[in-house]
Amino acid sequence: MTADRTKLTVLIADDDPMIRMALSEVLAAEPDLLVVAIAADAEEAVALAAHHTPDVAVLDVRMPGGGGAHAAREIRIRSPRTQLLAFSAYDDTGVANELKRLGVREYLIKGVTNAQIVSAVRRAGAAVRT
Amino acid sequence: MRPDDGYRLLVQGVTDYGILMLDPTGHIVSWNAGAERIKGYQEHEILGKHFSVFYPPEDIATGKPDNELAQAVIEGHLEDEGWRLRKDGTRFWANVVITALFDDTGTLRGFGKVTRDMTERRSAEATLAERRRLLTHLVEAQELERRRIAWDVHDDSIQAMVAVGMRLQLLSSRVPEEHRPTLQQLEDAVRTSVSRLRNLVVHLRPTAIEEHGLVTALSGYLQDVVAAWDLGTSLSAELDHEPPVPTAITIFRICQEALINVRKHARATCVAVTLSTTDGGTLVRVRDDGIGFANPVREDSFHRFGLIEMRERAETAAGWCSVESAPDAGTTVEFWLPNPPEQRAATR
Repeated sequence: MTADRTKLTVLIADDDPMIRMALSEVLAAEPDLLVVAIAADAEEAVALAAHHTPDVAVLDVRMPGGGGAHAAREIRIRSPRTQLLAFSAYDDTGVANELKRLGVREYLIKGVTNAQIVSAVRRAGAAVRT
Repeated sequence: MRPDDGYRLLVQGVTDYGILMLDPTGHIVSWNAGAERIKGYQEHEILGKHFSVFYPPEDIATGKPDNELAQAVIEGHLEDEGWRLRKDGTRFWANVVITALFDDTGTLRGFGKVTRDMTERRSAEATLAERRRLLTHLVEAQELERRRIAWDVHDDSIQAMVAVGMRLQLLSSRVPEEHRPTLQQLEDAVRTSVSRLRNLVVHLRPTAIEEHGLVTALSGYLQDVVAAWDLGTSLSAELDHEPPVPTAITIFRICQEALINVRKHARATCVAVTLSTTDGGTLVRVRDDGIGFANPVREDSFHRFGLIEMRERAETAAGWCSVESAPDAGTTVEFWLPNPPEQRAATR
C-alpha cells in the first residue's frame, strides 16, 4: 500500500476482532489519518510494522505472540520512526511504566473517548513528522 | 489419715490418668483406677507383670520398653507418644511419662509411669486438620475460579462493551441531530457498564496485592469501590511488614466481605479500616457507624450477616474473627491472622 504522505499512517494491533474493527473505523473516519495495517497478534504487528513503517502503531497490551511489550521492543528495532501507543484494557501502572521504558509514548485505557484516541494518535504523528 | 495414705488414695482414685509404679526391672508394682480404665487390666491380673505387655510387637522387636527405662534413668524422665495395647489387644494412642525414682543414696528404686489415652484428642486433631486442609483447598480453588472469571470478563465482556461504545460514538457523529441524545444515552449506559465490569474484575481479582501489597490494594478498593457506595472511608495501617501474599489475600477477602456487609445492612455513613501488627500477626478492624444489631455472638446472627464465611476464612488461616455490635452503636468486625513462622521469628 502506498501511503498518502499528507496523511498520518497508522498500524493497529489487537487480538479482539471487535476492538480492531471499531478502532480502525474510528481512525479511518478522520480525514488526516490512514490505517495502513491491522494485526491480530504481536508477531503480525512486528511484521506489518517492518513492512509499512507506519507513523504510529496502536498496540494492545495483552495479545498473543508476546503481547504489546514484545511488539514495542521489536518495532523499535525494525521501524524506528514509528511512534508507539498502548491501548489497554488494564489500568496498571506497573505495565504502563514498563511499556513507557520500551518507548511507548502514551498508555490509553480502553474506554477513553474516540476523540481522546484520535488526538493521542495525532500527537504521536506530530512527533514523527517534525 | 497420714499424708502418705492421702496421696495413695488420690492416685488410686484418679481415672483420667493411668498411674503406676514399676520396679527397677520394669515389673508393675502398683496400679490405679485410671490404668484399669485405660488398659483394661484389673490390679490382680497385672501386678508383677513386665510393663512391656502394653507395647505392640513392633516396639518389642526394637527393644523400645527397655530403651525407654534406660533413657529415663539417664535423663531423669522420658515422655513419649505412641500406640499402646489394651488387655483385649486393641490399640490406643498414648501419651506416656516415665520418671526414674532414686532414693537419698542415689540408688534406683523404680519408675513412676503416667499414661493418658489421647485417642479421642488425636482423632479430633486429625478431623480438624482435615477440615482445615479442605477449607484451604476450597479457598485456593475459589481464588483460582475467580481469577478465571475475572480474565473472561476482562478479555471478553469489557472489550466487547468498549468496542460497542466506540462505534456508538462514531454513529452519533453520523446521525441527524435529533437522534443524538438517544445515542448519547446509550453511550452513557455502555460507559457505566464498562466501569461496573471493571469494578467486578477488581473485586474478583485484587491484582494490586501481588504487585503493590495489601495496604495499596485495600486503599484502592476503598477509594474506587467502597467510596462509590456513598460511604466515607478511612484506612490506617501500622504494619511492621506487609503480610505474605496468601495471608494478604485472606485479609483482603475478609475486609471485602465485611465492607459488603456494611453496604447491605449497616446504613452507615462511614467505615474505618485499621491494620496493625499484633501478637506476631496482623490485626484488622472494620468499624462502621451504622445501625448495628443485637446479639452479634448468636449463631443465627452469624449466619444472617455472612459472618460465618469470614470466621471460616480466618480460622482456615489459623486466626480468629469476632464481631461486636449493638443497636444504633455501629458494628466492628475484628480479626487476626498469624504471620508465617519466618516472619514471626523476625518480629520477636
